[in-house]
Amino acid sequence: MAVTILTLVLTGVLWGGVYLLMASGLNLIYGVMKIVNLAHGDFIVVGGLLTLTLFELHVNPLAALPAAALMMFVVGALVQRGILERLVTAGPTGELRTLLATFGMSYVVSNVGLLLWGAQVQSVPFLEGSVNLFGIRLPENLLVCSAVAFAFAVAVHVWLTRTMSGKAVRATSQSAVGAAACGLGIRRIRVLTFGLGCAMAGAAGSLTITLIPFQNSSGGPLTVQAFTVIALGGLGNYVGAFLAAVILGVAEVSTSFFFGSNAAAAVVYILFILILVFRPQGLLGRAARV
Amino acid sequence: MIDRFRRNAALIALLALIAAQTAPVRAADTIKIGFSVSETGALAAPSVFDRQGYELAADEINAHGGLLGKKVELVHYDDQSTPATANALYQKLISDDKVDLILGPYSSQITQAVAPIADRAKLVMLSMDANPQAFDGSHPYVFQAIAQTPQYMAPMIEFAARHGVKTIALLYQNSPFPAALAGAIKEAAAGRGLKIVFEEAYPPATTDFGPLVLKAAATNPDLLIGGTFLADSEGIVRAAKAQNFHAKMYAFSVGPVEPEFSRALGPAAEAVFGNTLWFPTLSTKGNADFVKGFRAKFNRDPDYHAALSYAALKLLATAAQSAGSLDQEKIRGWLRSHTVDTVMGPFKLGPTGLQTGFSSYVIQWQKEKQVLVWPAKSATGSPVFPHPGW
Repeated sequence: MAVTILTLVLTGVLWGGVYLLMASGLNLIYGVMKIVNLAHGDFIVVGGLLTLTLFELHVNPLAALPAAALMMFVVGALVQRGILERLVTAGPTGELRTLLATFGMSYVVSNVGLLLWGAQVQSVPFLEGSVNLFGIRLPENLLVCSAVAFAFAVAVHVWLTRTMSGKAVRATSQSAVGAAACGLGIRRIRVLTFGLGCAMAGAAGSLTITLIPFQNSSGGPLTVQAFTVIALGGLGNYVGAFLAAVILGVAEVSTSFFFGSNAAAAVVYILFILILVFRPQGLLGRAARV
Repeated sequence: MIDRFRRNAALIALLALIAAQTAPVRAADTIKIGFSVSETGALAAPSVFDRQGYELAADEINAHGGLLGKKVELVHYDDQSTPATANALYQKLISDDKVDLILGPYSSQITQAVAPIADRAKLVMLSMDANPQAFDGSHPYVFQAIAQTPQYMAPMIEFAARHGVKTIALLYQNSPFPAALAGAIKEAAAGRGLKIVFEEAYPPATTDFGPLVLKAAATNPDLLIGGTFLADSEGIVRAAKAQNFHAKMYAFSVGPVEPEFSRALGPAAEAVFGNTLWFPTLSTKGNADFVKGFRAKFNRDPDYHAALSYAALKLLATAAQSAGSLDQEKIRGWLRSHTVDTVMGPFKLGPTGLQTGFSSYVIQWQKEKQVLVWPAKSATGSPVFPHPGW
């Protein structure tokens, strides 16, 4: 029984890593720009499908990851420069406009996916074995996905808090006017941030397609899942998202084992509602901070 | 990828062309046949096979002198995998496009959404709905043109029983078709004296099958059987392999039948059993020509959805030709009173519109190829049993 429980907890932590991986880009963009990118899930799907195509050309998903990330960076930067930057975001309906724009974009991205890859559910066979750790079996691809996710989380956290460019991004998020007054190129910072957020979605897609089969229309549910993680953690808060992802992963895996899969699907949203009621700013959320 | 891109571009051009053609006054020398296709959305992959099956059948009918001396013309729109959209489209097909005949859409849910329209318009609809409850006599013009859900996995249980399987772990997706399958599996298992030692349903959005497979493995079943679609069948196989679960047999309803199953799982797909309603090597009437024609027209292999829809349009045409008119009452009466050989096997309707003639087959992935292993008289190879381990 001890082995079973340990297996469940570790698997839960690892799945938490996968959720975190899928949520990181969304979190970065929201934290800095206060934009909920509703096309986030579709970027994940396209990153994954691109990895599938490269895999068919005998490119390992880990090697395909930078290519997917770079492509999504370019797409993201273009979207920010060409569309989002031009929207009037001031005033009470500002957030609504970016929501609508990214919602529309999600359709464009998923239907481009349909044209290029068709509609079938796709997945990539990669690292399908498991690591045996004193009788605890942990799937290899899950380990790799989580390791990359946690590395991303740490890297972004360090970047935002320790480097000059990261500080510039945070300054922009706290007050665009103030940052501009100090001589920061806020337009370039926004392009960089949105591009990076999308690149993280592409990278997440490269890895998760080895775990979770995708089809071109899978983007919507992935966006919702990612949004749940960052809302639980405190929108835009990196450490919070990390914590939320791990809690969700462990709660889901152990509920699934002890109370069945249907209960596991509910537990995520029960936690979500409890947080919304008792701690609406999220686990570690603070108003207007990154 | 480029090929698919080109094909889709061609498809869009074709759709635009069809849309452009629906505007003028209808020509009296064609027979219009309408239906909706899930060109986009979650159901697009199987639904596009359905459309291609219809298109191939229409081509063949036209090449052989048409229907009742007239050319047939297909009119179709994208229902976006949404029942409500399909409902609106069938109304449009009937009232605006004034189609002469209709064919069914893909999936049980969408069929349910359009069945009342077929009844109201008194147009016979041969439909792709496996659920037997849908054919209880409440839709007099809607007929089943697929095998019934309970028949899907009956040969699989028969195969398992004959190979010494005694205990079963049953996992199934918590949605109408897999749930109905699960009921049928339990009934068939009870009939053969097999014991269900583990049973659990999971929601459609499930991505992590680790805990579920861990629990199932603890009951040590001979057979792990899944009422699944493609994504969840892959998830269960991945989890079973990762945990080095040893069952004698792994079998899934929908999943292994798709070519993507082996592409997505690689070596883990080896020796996994699946279910199909049709196979390219079957000696059913016209099957070899169907496979050849499909490959030539669409540059890919047909699947069972394409075979079903091809058979359905051929059936409808045969019924109209035999009835000598497009009179729906005559077509309806003819379909109900005749057994017709199709690529799917003999088509035969029960009194309430349930189809009872088609069979189901057991396939297995062997060396990256699907092999039909049961029933023995249709088999293309011998089964690998028990599962050799991951």
